[in-house]
Amino acid sequence: MVAKDTVIIGAAFREGMTPRSMRNNKGYVRGFDVRTGKRLWIFHTIPKKGEFGYDTWEKGSAEYTGNTGVWTQITVDEQLGLVYLPVESPTSDFYGGHRPGNNLFGETLVCVDLKTGQRKWHFQLVHHPLWDMDISSAPILADITVDGRLIKAVAQPSKQGFLYVFDRVTGKPIWPIPERPVEVGDVPGEWYSPTQPIPTKPPAYSRNGVSIDDLIDFTPLLRERAKEIAEKYHLGSVYTPPTVSKLERPLGTLTLGTASGGTNWPGGSYDPETHVAYLYACNSCIEPIGLVPSPKEISDLNYIAGTAGKEVEILRGPGENAGADSQRPPKKRPRSQWVPLNIDGLPLVKPPYGTITAINLDKGEFVWQVAHGETPDVVRNSDLLQGLTIPRTGQETYNVGTLVTKSLVIAGEAQVTTTADHPRGAMLRAYDKATGKEVGAVYMPGPQSGSPMTYMVHGKQYIVVAVSGGPYSGEYIAYTLPSEGE
Amino acid sequence: MVSAFGALSAQAPAESRSVWDGVYTEEQAKRGEPIYQKECASCHGDLLTGGESAPPLTGGAFQANWNGLTLGDLFDRIRKTMPQRAPGRLTRQQDADVLAFLLSVNKFPAGKDELYRQSEMLKEIRFETKKPATKN
Repeated sequence: MVAKDTVIIGAAFREGMTPRSMRNNKGYVRGFDVRTGKRLWIFHTIPKKGEFGYDTWEKGSAEYTGNTGVWTQITVDEQLGLVYLPVESPTSDFYGGHRPGNNLFGETLVCVDLKTGQRKWHFQLVHHPLWDMDISSAPILADITVDGRLIKAVAQPSKQGFLYVFDRVTGKPIWPIPERPVEVGDVPGEWYSPTQPIPTKPPAYSRNGVSIDDLIDFTPLLRERAKEIAEKYHLGSVYTPPTVSKLERPLGTLTLGTASGGTNWPGGSYDPETHVAYLYACNSCIEPIGLVPSPKEISDLNYIAGTAGKEVEILRGPGENAGADSQRPPKKRPRSQWVPLNIDGLPLVKPPYGTITAINLDKGEFVWQVAHGETPDVVRNSDLLQGLTIPRTGQETYNVGTLVTKSLVIAGEAQVTTTADHPRGAMLRAYDKATGKEVGAVYMPGPQSGSPMTYMVHGKQYIVVAVSGGPYSGEYIAYTLPSEGE
Repeated sequence: MVSAFGALSAQAPAESRSVWDGVYTEEQAKRGEPIYQKECASCHGDLLTGGESAPPLTGGAFQANWNGLTLGDLFDRIRKTMPQRAPGRLTRQQDADVLAFLLSVNKFPAGKDELYRQSEMLKEIRFETKKPATKN
């Protein structure tokens, strides 16, 4: 991020589900002079001794815990000279027994001064993070009018489907975000926050817990089969903690709105004229979170992510093992304990699988919500659903975002389908931004990645989309209307 | 009507074959499994369910990606781009064996003959998600 004379840089780490150690580098954020390269400031996302928040790391755990970086987009208000830092989880994603306490500034929105890096205000979205709810997308600047009062606000989309809205000067929530009691787990050595902050407005825009009522219900038989799978897990609402994975059950906690739920790196869109935010969300990105004792040769943590009966392995992130440090993968592992989280390919939870939600930020209320994406082939063609009429389900993905224009909200699909209307491909869809009604769709040969963008050349508007996936190699495709006479 | 259609397809020319016609052998899929586990599983998962860095190689999204293409297209994708850290390192035989393993995990039926090792010939075999009504 470059703002005025300052270059701001965060840090990205390897995947934190199965770290080799509780000790890791810290994801500090640094500001540099754009002309000289001189470092102007550093913000300690894990406070040093004597700094504010150090005492939220009990037993000296701030000394050795790492991660807690800012890997996603940073937002700056140049006029106010303020920087908004969306901070990720500390080491490790799903087990916090080696870092007792609330762990500031893990999963915290931090506002710092652009020139000095001094903290102005902060709000921790999740105390003592245990669900990989990295703040994963850009904070959205929004000048809104609430009860007749003009407010410079910042709105933070999240994996857990809450849109957190603050006064971006003071950090005060626009609508109350009270602490509510949450379930406390029993993983040996874990430390639990008894409460979490839950926004009163706007309502959650995607699922962030799993109950029996969320399971597939096209037919009573499908619901029964889904229950058989779900009963192997611990279920609960938002912030239900992970469990130790046991063969006799639970295999773990079945979660939605965690590692890959809600809004991820593509982020949301905001319309400065109408004060409406548009958010794509994965409403079906189900994540079983189980913990297993870590073999000493794998990690020095007491517990890491895993499933009972399955050999513990390091989970890899993008780009890993692609260079000189690549290692031989471990030997063959038994597959006996694997429980597929689908029913003959059908998603375990009911639709909508992915949504776009329009939220009025003056009122903190939904304007509309639609299922985004064609019903997947596996659902449309399922023998188990013959004779049923199923409304468009949307699609499961955490890799797409929206574009808002003067009149439209535009977003492509992240899955390929083959229908009577189009050959194997994905659609780029346009919705009336006032109503959510689809007003048009064009064919793309492959699925969208990230968000579309729009630009003008010689008075002509283009929409460009990054397309890739499956058999289709990555490329940008630009769309425009035919010129007169074409 | 059904049996007449079945008889027709039994005599059908090579270009009308699909993944439902028993285009690999169980033996070959068994040979492919350890190669998959060694070369592919660290990114695509030991159960082919994918990961943050690689897509799943089984299930609805995978099948939708390749539906309507040919085994030659899938074979070429493997041959030219995989394994990611050393594309093209595996032999054609190994690539074909891994492909046979993928087909078996995706519940396409095994047959009497092994998969071809030439993309041109594999391009004659259609990847179809939906089981034809006349096949068992």
